[in-house]
Amino acid sequence: MTPLLLLLLLLPQQNDGRLAEHVPAAALPGVHAIITRAAQDSLPTEPLVEKALEGGAKGASPEMIVTAVGAEEARLRNARDLLRRAGAPGPYGTRELQSVSLALARGLPDRIVAEVVGSVKDTTPGFALHAVADLTAHGFGADSSAALIVAALGSGLSGQRLLDVAAAADRELQRGSTRPQALARVRSILPAVPSQPLPPGAMQGATRPKRSP
Amino acid sequence: MIHDLDPRIHGALDGELDRAALTPEERALVERLDAAARALSGTPVVPGLSRRVMGIIRRPLASPVARFRRWLTSPQPVTLSLRPVYSLVIAALLAAVLWRGPVPAPMLGAHEGVAQFVARFPEAHSVAVVGAFNDWRPEATPLADDDHDGVWDARVILPAGQHEYMFVVDGERWVSDPLAGRYVDDGFGRQNAVLVVRPVRAE
Repeated sequence: MTPLLLLLLLLPQQNDGRLAEHVPAAALPGVHAIITRAAQDSLPTEPLVEKALEGGAKGASPEMIVTAVGAEEARLRNARDLLRRAGAPGPYGTRELQSVSLALARGLPDRIVAEVVGSVKDTTPGFALHAVADLTAHGFGADSSAALIVAALGSGLSGQRLLDVAAAADRELQRGSTRPQALARVRSILPAVPSQPLPPGAMQGATRPKRSP
Repeated sequence: MIHDLDPRIHGALDGELDRAALTPEERALVERLDAAARALSGTPVVPGLSRRVMGIIRRPLASPVARFRRWLTSPQPVTLSLRPVYSLVIAALLAAVLWRGPVPAPMLGAHEGVAQFVARFPEAHSVAVVGAFNDWRPEATPLADDDHDGVWDARVILPAGQHEYMFVVDGERWVSDPLAGRYVDDGFGRQNAVLVVRPVRAE
């Protein structure tokens, strides 16, 4: 219990430097209150700090920043609830919660997200959700998109290879297939969808981004 | 200007002609020349010169450490004589040591990938990519347009997974990547582009 209390006491101070430097002072009390509440509820706080920094960088008003941070907290909470309902074993990491949160923000219905999460057994659902969201972004129906990705999971594909499934369906569209034809074609070749290797020299000159000290 | 000397004056100066035989003007000229000759032949006397010179000569030698320090810090002539063929060999060896070849690709972790950001802003003076990966700081990750064709790009090592980002043009204009294909409301009235980074090493 004591470590948790210590963590709660230290958490706002740890974020103080980054927030105080880049976020309007008028927004700080509201942001701190949300971060503290999230920490008490075992939600990840880094996405909330990032959202506040984003608002500060974009010149948003203090009220807008507090509202956006609150909305981010609500999305994370909703994502965790959805994962629990889908029977995904916890505890849930920041990346996992953010994946679900982003899938919801990209317009996937709760039940579709729950269906995909329930089908991903041994890895985080991030890539599977991105693949479904990519398909829906290209005009495929949410149900048929989820069905294709679940079928891909059943065929043994996982992780980033699921993005290849969505890319393959998109290529079929570009070749002139209708959407049902594209889905049927990709489903018929599972799991042998072409992979997208890193182009030669893609890593040359790559640098790691610098974050605030 | 040099004039030929009158033989009578010359003779009087040499003592070959009695000066009483000269005209008053000639005698005055001989006396001026005599005075000039005396001034030129005399040694100037500087008061205390001998004492100062002897003082320097008799000064005790500095300590060996001081002399060594003076030698270290004062300019010393260095003469290097090398045959051209040896110079070329040394230059080639130095080049081989200093040239490390192409910049090696960075080492990536198991859960990292490379994101290539490309944007076309022909009129821009600067373009940067911002996201949570650099705390949304426009100065942190600039894009480059080395050939000035208006196409800016940067390769960034990021953790595998999703990343929201925007471009910042000329330090003040926030622009969603028109080529991203994935977008999400940012909560501030704009849309962030969404990038999914694949890990370089398969999971």
